[in-house]
Amino acid sequence: MTLLEAIILTVITASTPLLIAAIGELVVERAGVLNLGVEGMMIIGAAAGIAAAITTGNSWFGVLVAILAGMALSLVFAALVLGLAANQVAAGLALAILGLGLSGVIGAPFVGVQREGIGKIEIPVLSDIPFIGEILFHQDLFVYASVALTAGVWWFLTRTRAGLVLRACGENHAAAHALGYRVLRIRLLAILFGGGCAGLAGAYLSLVYTPFWTSGMTSGRGWIALAIVVFASWLPWRAAVGAYLFGGLTILQLHAQSAGVPLPSQVMAALPYLLTIIVLVVIMRARRGGAAGPACLGTPFVPDR
Amino acid sequence: MNITRRQTLTGASALAGTAIGAEQAAAQSALNVGFILIGPVGDFGWSTMHDVGRRRMESVLGNRVTSTQVEAVAPPDFDRVATQLVRTGCRLIFTTSFSYFAPTQRVAAANPNVMWESATGTATAANLAIYNARFYEGRYVQGVIAARKSRSKTIGYVATFPVPEVIHAINTVMRGAWSVDPSIRIRVVWISAWFNPGREADAARALIDQGCDVICQHTDSPAPLQLAEQRGNVFGFGQASDMTRFAPRAHLTSSINSWGDYYVSRARAVLDGSWRPADTWGGLGSGMFSLAAFTNMTPEEVSEATRIRDALAAGTLHPFDGPITRADGTLVIPAGQRLTDDQIRAQNYFYQGIDVAMP
Amino acid sequence: MRLVMEKRSETPLWLMVVSPLIAVGLPVLAAIIMFTLLGKDPARALYVYFIDPISDSWGLQEVAVKATPLVLIALGLAVCYRANVWNIGAEGQFLLGAMAGGWLAVITHGSTQGPWLLPAMMMLGALAGACWALIPGVLRTRFGANEILTSLMLVYVAEYLLDYLVRGPWRDPGGFNMPQTVIFEPEAVLPLLMEGGRLNIGTPIMLVMVVAFAILMGRTLKGFEIRLVGEAPRAARFAGFSEKGLVLTVFAISGALAGLAGMLEAAGTVKQLQPGISPGYGFTAIIVAFLGRLNPVGCLVAGIFIAITFIGGENAQIMLRLPLDATRVLQGLLLFFVLACDSLLLYRFRFVREARA
Repeated sequence: MTLLEAIILTVITASTPLLIAAIGELVVERAGVLNLGVEGMMIIGAAAGIAAAITTGNSWFGVLVAILAGMALSLVFAALVLGLAANQVAAGLALAILGLGLSGVIGAPFVGVQREGIGKIEIPVLSDIPFIGEILFHQDLFVYASVALTAGVWWFLTRTRAGLVLRACGENHAAAHALGYRVLRIRLLAILFGGGCAGLAGAYLSLVYTPFWTSGMTSGRGWIALAIVVFASWLPWRAAVGAYLFGGLTILQLHAQSAGVPLPSQVMAALPYLLTIIVLVVIMRARRGGAAGPACLGTPFVPDR
Repeated sequence: MNITRRQTLTGASALAGTAIGAEQAAAQSALNVGFILIGPVGDFGWSTMHDVGRRRMESVLGNRVTSTQVEAVAPPDFDRVATQLVRTGCRLIFTTSFSYFAPTQRVAAANPNVMWESATGTATAANLAIYNARFYEGRYVQGVIAARKSRSKTIGYVATFPVPEVIHAINTVMRGAWSVDPSIRIRVVWISAWFNPGREADAARALIDQGCDVICQHTDSPAPLQLAEQRGNVFGFGQASDMTRFAPRAHLTSSINSWGDYYVSRARAVLDGSWRPADTWGGLGSGMFSLAAFTNMTPEEVSEATRIRDALAAGTLHPFDGPITRADGTLVIPAGQRLTDDQIRAQNYFYQGIDVAMP
Repeated sequence: MRLVMEKRSETPLWLMVVSPLIAVGLPVLAAIIMFTLLGKDPARALYVYFIDPISDSWGLQEVAVKATPLVLIALGLAVCYRANVWNIGAEGQFLLGAMAGGWLAVITHGSTQGPWLLPAMMMLGALAGACWALIPGVLRTRFGANEILTSLMLVYVAEYLLDYLVRGPWRDPGGFNMPQTVIFEPEAVLPLLMEGGRLNIGTPIMLVMVVAFAILMGRTLKGFEIRLVGEAPRAARFAGFSEKGLVLTVFAISGALAGLAGMLEAAGTVKQLQPGISPGYGFTAIIVAFLGRLNPVGCLVAGIFIAITFIGGENAQIMLRLPLDATRVLQGLLLFFVLACDSLLLYRFRFVREARA
């Protein structure tokens, strides 16, 4: 394995959870809802996932439970912001606090328990192709799932009628409602999808990336996922670019340190954040005035009968 | 003895009144010990091990002590939490982070009737003791083992932040490694976090991909060790607790923090009135930390590691004997001299052979 | 039958009387249920969580100390959000303020200065916070880069900058190379207001700011402009208000307040610079701003409420021996209930017969 190959493999692992969570949040925001609680849903997924996997001895059951846990938490959020039209920003931040606390309660009995991680799958023949084989055809299922999710969401949003309706809810909920679409129901489904994705991303952390549980193990990845949605201008493929850009920069700075680049560690650690800003500015400059978010993002919808 | 369930129940209900009274009386006379933790109890590292020590103190001293613990206290909240512990009756309070040292000095001065113990610190006071373990002695043993195990002659170190504790730990690994083979090199990656399992794994990956085949870690999660296991032909060391089970084929030894006996002795000292401020910096011989059983090593390697560990514990081997040369070539101390404790504590330079930028 | 919500045109009198009771009663009811589930005596638990923190002078002072940075930051954020500017990087602006103010305290350390020192530190802290906030402001007005991303990313950059400074150039030379600055000289520390507590002049400064912002937002043309740009950008354009100028103004205002809060925190409670100087005040203040309905007086009330839930959580760990995570769950649920109550006041819920189309 060459160093380049190794770096690419590490970048894929680091970027996958960011991408999965970002794609979920992207759909939520396209429907006009801003859920800032991604970190909370992600960590509850991580805790519930490994707890279920250890209890039942089945990692895939753990993944399922993680998705359900993320959805369950997002349902609480939905009840508040859709059912009661509460403020989305505050509710999302409260969700992050609640998720962090609940994950600690769920995970407490599992601190320090050893669990075999979910391994990679090797696609026969194809994985023997030099370079490409190892990178493309010898990955864990989550990596393929993240690509499938990106492609699926892109197809859904741009090529299907349901996707069009969902975007309409985000752009102008009053008009969508006037046309007879159930704005709240569509938003509910979007929020649940976002919760499921965040839970899945959490499961990736606790069952694949670093297979064990410790409290706070998501370490802010949910916030980065939120930033990636904005970076992507709410476009699925650009979310993939954003996730891989950020993941790639994080890994490259670690490699640069290991190679002895004589810069203070703080400068290296800050680089991914600074470069993400710079790349965004360059993109916006090239496009001369960029896309704003969905017009109804963050505003509650109250149907007038 | 043959006691039926009914008898137990009647007995219990009859006793209930007095039992509660007795409990209250015991609680009043018992010493209440406070603990302020920098992280959550579930961090499976520094704070978890302090919690383990606290529970050991409770089980040894039984109803003579009770304990109160506050988790993840940020430095701006410290004064309030510490004062509230005093107000609720704590007479002995352990503050378990160096970020708490300055505020502990402040709160200790304001509360002279309470005994304070700061895990790492630089000065004592009439009612303030400082304590820490000489974890570097374990690092020296790790350096020796790593040098024996490494075929690429390159050791990787997953580091947190460039604080003196971490710097002198890296330096001691180097001393240990050089005592075996002076051609050994160390590569360091700072993850700029005390706690971020994913980033720890990424750092370990980067180090392994660049040719390191033994990974030392200053972070508390088993992530780097698990990664070594996954990669195969790479070895690693556990941190804070015994991590053998996380990497049965890659684990060499773990540095295990065990604060329990210290907490027992200090609480006992307060109880019998013999508490004195002290600067405790316990080595391998003190029991404040220990090394887990050596695994994945040949019998010769085990006996060498054991011999060095025992020599360090007995004080016949000292990791900081001169000559010591900095990475830039200047001499710190010549042969025949030894770094003082204060010099060890305050190291902010790397020794020769460590390829890292010093911030 | 289905449930519908209607926006209330005006809040009826009975509801204005009953609403505070609902807003307090529902969360308390929820707390009672949770404490019972956790196996704690609910009466004692409620006392420990809500009453003990405000039961004596020391407790009240601590609530004020904890609420001060939250309210200060939230005041500025509320102005931003009113103008539809999504500054979520107040944490970074807070840190910059602490660094700038702390810098002056560090370089003057060991030499006697006049009474000008503290005001100068405050000015510098506010200025640095404003400058840091103007970065996402300029990136938005000049390049159209979304401020949610830029302001958030700059939080992390600020954290690493502080980390670098306290480990490198500003490190206490006598501190055994620990990552912290010297302890500030007494004249660089905020004076205390009374004995037996930590209440310092930061709190009156915060209260003055609350009044100032209530006047600014409610009584001045600038306040009207800010609200108009947020609520009706087209109308604002017709009225000739410059959106770009306004974006920069609100960023500068909120950055200055966050920076001032950071400086007050460094010089008031921590008395030195070190990496862990903020327990996430900049993020918590976002909740405060919205709980306070983006209204200055509302921010004050919400800030005090949030401060009590934090201190109550510590108390629950100390006096009830609840683990940290349980107190966090409780805090999250309390916030949910308060938000839900808030909706009950804004909207009317009615059952109507389903109309068949």
